[in-house]
Amino acid sequence: MDFLYSYLILAEIYVLLGLSTNLLVGIVGIFSLSQAAVFGVGAYIVADFLLSGALPFLPSLATAAACCVLLNVLVTLPSLRVAGDYFVVTSFGIQLLATAAFTNWTGGTGGANGLPGIPPAGLFGFTLTDTWQYLVLTTVAAALGCLCFWLVMRAPFGRLLRAIREDELAVAAAAKGVLRAKVEAAALAGAFGGIAGGLYATFLSFIDPSSFDLDASILLLTMIVVGGARTLGGSILGPFLLLALPQALALVAIPTSIAAAARQLIYGVLLIAFALFRPQGLLGERL
Amino acid sequence: MVLLQLLLNGIVTGCALGVVAVSFALVYSTTRIFHVAHAGIYTLGGYLAWSCVTHGVPDPVALLLAMLACTLLGALIQAQLYARLERRGATHLIVLIASLGVLAVIQNVIAAVYSPNILQFPSAWAAGVVAVGRLRLTYAQIATLGISLAAFVAVLLFARLTLLGKRIRAVASNPFLAEITRLEPRRVYIYVIGIASAVVCVPGVLVPLDLGLQPYGGVTPLLTATIAMIAGGVGSFAGAFMLSVAIVVFQNLSLLVIPGEWSIGITFFIFVVFMLFRPRGLFASA
Repeated sequence: MDFLYSYLILAEIYVLLGLSTNLLVGIVGIFSLSQAAVFGVGAYIVADFLLSGALPFLPSLATAAACCVLLNVLVTLPSLRVAGDYFVVTSFGIQLLATAAFTNWTGGTGGANGLPGIPPAGLFGFTLTDTWQYLVLTTVAAALGCLCFWLVMRAPFGRLLRAIREDELAVAAAAKGVLRAKVEAAALAGAFGGIAGGLYATFLSFIDPSSFDLDASILLLTMIVVGGARTLGGSILGPFLLLALPQALALVAIPTSIAAAARQLIYGVLLIAFALFRPQGLLGERL
Repeated sequence: MVLLQLLLNGIVTGCALGVVAVSFALVYSTTRIFHVAHAGIYTLGGYLAWSCVTHGVPDPVALLLAMLACTLLGALIQAQLYARLERRGATHLIVLIASLGVLAVIQNVIAAVYSPNILQFPSAWAAGVVAVGRLRLTYAQIATLGISLAAFVAVLLFARLTLLGKRIRAVASNPFLAEITRLEPRRVYIYVIGIASAVVCVPGVLVPLDLGLQPYGGVTPLLTATIAMIAGGVGSFAGAFMLSVAIVVFQNLSLLVIPGEWSIGITFFIFVVFMLFRPRGLFASA
């Protein structure tokens, strides 16, 4: 049962990340390959606060979310100045830089060995020890995230964001603030990423750079490409499907030495196949 | 003396990276595809050459065989993937996602077949050292310098002098017009990616002679090369090459003050500076 619970918990955490990535890539059309970096920053901040005992869980989660908002806005800002392909370089660079920081800044991140023994989350004096309690927490978090996404999408703000992707010039000509809308979308995506990071760190109680590298960013992208860009359903379906994949692979006898490579290989194949045959994903709109 | 040695190492690696930048610029300026999978082809070239060498093929022949295989793979990617996507009216974002998918596939096939650990070339000659005063250059570095420069000059001459080179430049400068002439842009795109894949194979084989092979080792060189291309000005091969050398030299010199793990930060810093002050690049044509 715990096995199923932990799959659900991780999938729900990735739903938050899927929403974050979908908001930027799907809706605003900013090709970001650095969402895993934001996720990682959130995870490390919460882990550091809890390990040092400086702040309880909720305040450290809020700090992580605030830092990730700031970070994601800073990361996305270049997209206002540099268009299209140049931003790919920016976001690739930020992801590699973040991986370098996670791996080499041993003081804050434990380096390549990671940070073990992160204390479990505590809410209002009540410590979450059982897996099912975490499931409740992440379900609430994911549900709030989805609600937030849904509300944003049906508000005028959501239409504005979609309009920016279709035709930025027209939006600017209609005297709508493109800059402000992009910054706000990036901020929201950052908050999702930071909260997901905090939940991830406390649930696993161990984090290391391999969860937040370029491959993780590619996984996030695969999730929304497979699930479907720009829709709530797509952002939920993608994480659930793609996290089931490693479990399915475990049933097939693949030597453990190549299991990681095999998984990433399948993500790559999925990206190509969906780009060719179903660019809108399973439950999405056309990218 | 350390300074001079670092400068020298920077120039050698910079020339190799310059070839990566030039090959990427060739693809990008013609097809306008941000061909991320190029990093995979760079890595694959090295591994194929390694396989040949360990099976007793002489090193130069191994390089040529790897170049041939990469040419075919590059042409296949264009003909079977990018061209199809274009026919289906895929947006730029979708093409980029597909290219990223190809990169993931190539890297992980390599990791599954060869193991994700670092592999060293068995070529004994490469470790030999030439010393001038207290400066040292390995034979591998000398080969890298010479062959990279030759490859760069060859690409320049090819683009200027040959009929195919002129045809490529014509398509690059006006794909719309090229469509109604007999230049056949679609076929030209296949040639372009094929040629660029062969060219990128050269540093892909030479650099690992010294540093070893890693399945995921292609991304950072490609990122640095694209930064050099953008900083040099898209469309200017010489600009891309010179900026590559400059960036790598700068990176190497920065080792005096900053540990090597952070060199990606240096590269990225250069990019941000360019984006802020000269987003069109140094040698951009008008």
